[in-house]
Amino acid sequence: MKYLMIHALDEDATPRTGSNGEPLELAAWIEEMEARGVVLDGARLHPVSDATSVRAPNGTVVVTDGPFAETKEQVAGYDVIDCPDLDSAIAVAAAHPTTGAGSIELRPFDEGMPDPEVPESVPDGKRRYLMLVCADMRRAMAAELDATEVHADSVPERSSADDEEEDEPIDRWIADAGARRLYGWPLAFPDTAVTVRRVDGEVVTTDGPFAETKEQIAGYDLLECTDLDDALEVASSHPVAATGVIELRPLRL
Amino acid sequence: MVHTSHDAVARSFTESWGRLVAGLIAWCGDWDLAEECAAEAFAAAVPAWETTGVPDSPLAWLTTVARNRARDRLRRRTTEDAKLALASAGATDQVAPADDADIPDERLRLIFTCCHPALPMPARVALTLRTLCGLTPAEIGRAFLVTEPTMEKRLVRARAKVKNAGIPYRVPPPELWPERVEGVLGVLYLMFNEGYAASSGESLLRVDVSTEAIRLTRSLVDLLPTEPEVRGLLALLLLTDARRPARVRDGRVVPLAEQDRSRWDRGLVLEGTRLLDDDPPWGPYAVQARIALCHDVAARPDGTDWAAIADLYSLLPATPVIELNRAVALSMAHGPEAALPLVESLAGDLAGYYLYAATRADLCARLGRTDEAVAALETAIAQAPTGAERRLLRERRDALLAR
Repeated sequence: MKYLMIHALDEDATPRTGSNGEPLELAAWIEEMEARGVVLDGARLHPVSDATSVRAPNGTVVVTDGPFAETKEQVAGYDVIDCPDLDSAIAVAAAHPTTGAGSIELRPFDEGMPDPEVPESVPDGKRRYLMLVCADMRRAMAAELDATEVHADSVPERSSADDEEEDEPIDRWIADAGARRLYGWPLAFPDTAVTVRRVDGEVVTTDGPFAETKEQIAGYDLLECTDLDDALEVASSHPVAATGVIELRPLRL
Repeated sequence: MVHTSHDAVARSFTESWGRLVAGLIAWCGDWDLAEECAAEAFAAAVPAWETTGVPDSPLAWLTTVARNRARDRLRRRTTEDAKLALASAGATDQVAPADDADIPDERLRLIFTCCHPALPMPARVALTLRTLCGLTPAEIGRAFLVTEPTMEKRLVRARAKVKNAGIPYRVPPPELWPERVEGVLGVLYLMFNEGYAASSGESLLRVDVSTEAIRLTRSLVDLLPTEPEVRGLLALLLLTDARRPARVRDGRVVPLAEQDRSRWDRGLVLEGTRLLDDDPPWGPYAVQARIALCHDVAARPDGTDWAAIADLYSLLPATPVIELNRAVALSMAHGPEAALPLVESLAGDLAGYYLYAATRADLCARLGRTDEAVAALETAIAQAPTGAERRLLRERRDALLAR
């Protein structure tokens, strides 16, 4: 199963466990997990002060400074991992140095995600952005629950993801984004999230996302664009921009 | 002689700083380097112009000196970034243009970048004042009542975001035009207002920042001649600024009705009026300019065409503050009883706004409801943001109590 590891750190805080070899720890984690074929993609992000959010209610594009939600800990990076089950994913997350300083949220991807293929080097004149697609998922979850109760016999796995009609808005968006989108996939609902922290050296696993917010991360796409305006054009035409919010974060390369 | 050179450099600084920096950023792509070398070029100009006289093309002179400094600095750096910057800066142009007329005006790119909606509003204002107007962090900090280190930090963060997030250095394409031009005008308008009426503190007029806002808006009229709202904004700023000589007396704000109208700047009123289109549709800035004009052309307060002002307010988006202003105009045109219901309907939205309480106080006083008026003034005094405004409200209250 594929999981998204969302690294959440309080940018103003000092690490909880100040073990002296943290860069080494990180290098060791990457080396081990890549050797085991666990990590498929991942990157660190520029600080949250470099974040830009965009909404497009009624087709009017509104660009604002800052992240999709003001939280104590902020998204600082991500990794895509492939593990046999949740327990092994938790073990992979617990071994990451982020748990000593902040939190790691683990979220399964929706089924059917192909292995991401992200070229190591970025072409001249291009930059990469993580595009977080955020929406109020409680409504979507409630709608799915209703559907489950009504059609208890023939429950569709997931109402939205399975309808792969040619002219779905999301397919049109993917076609329009073209080469500016490297890959992307929806995440399972936030109620599937598990958050891993280390408290006094002990690994603590809690149910739910790293922060309670009105809108939650529903999926992401990795973009490769010429500049922020180029990325904003892609983001603002995403179907979720009409009802939710899209955050753009430049990758630290 | 020293003075002449000093004055010439100071004049050049005001006229050319923005163009020099904008051109340097376009040339090397490095904001910090561009600013540092622009500052060095001006510093070098003081002794140089003293011996050789002011050059025929000061901007070309400054550009050449700044580019040479930039190349020297880049050669001393050993990072990959510096090598790349040097390669592109050296390759595109070995020799700076010799004549001012040959230097393209890159300020439009710079202002769109400084006012990009991805930057927080205070950062947009600070970046514009620093990069386009050449104000130092200490000067900008003074204007916005923050310390120099705080302002310095704000500027550093803003430049980091321009770089890290890849905010483009360009004039946006036509489809983004309406949103982005509005964004630029919003920054200039805020800058003017911050300078014109400080939002807190004792000092009311901050001449420098509003003057810079007017100067920049003037340039923008030249750079964007086809945008009616740019002219509308310049008209609004000029027609408001025309009243500046009469707005403060002995450290206290003088209300419009009590201002010495002979001190208003007729030249600015004339210039502002010429910028306005005769026929609608008018954008929000043009409408506000027309409202300012209604005041400017009234020889006496009771000669003001309040009915026209009320009509103009109804052309603006009906926010609570706009509605409050419309109510004031209605009360002047048709009496306080005509306006009180509209004012009271805004109570919920404007509960914390001192001008709401002050307006209600005024209407109650005119209707002879003195107790209510005094109570409303007490609220307004508690909510007023500057000492000068509090003093004015206290005087009004005391006058009512003395009756």
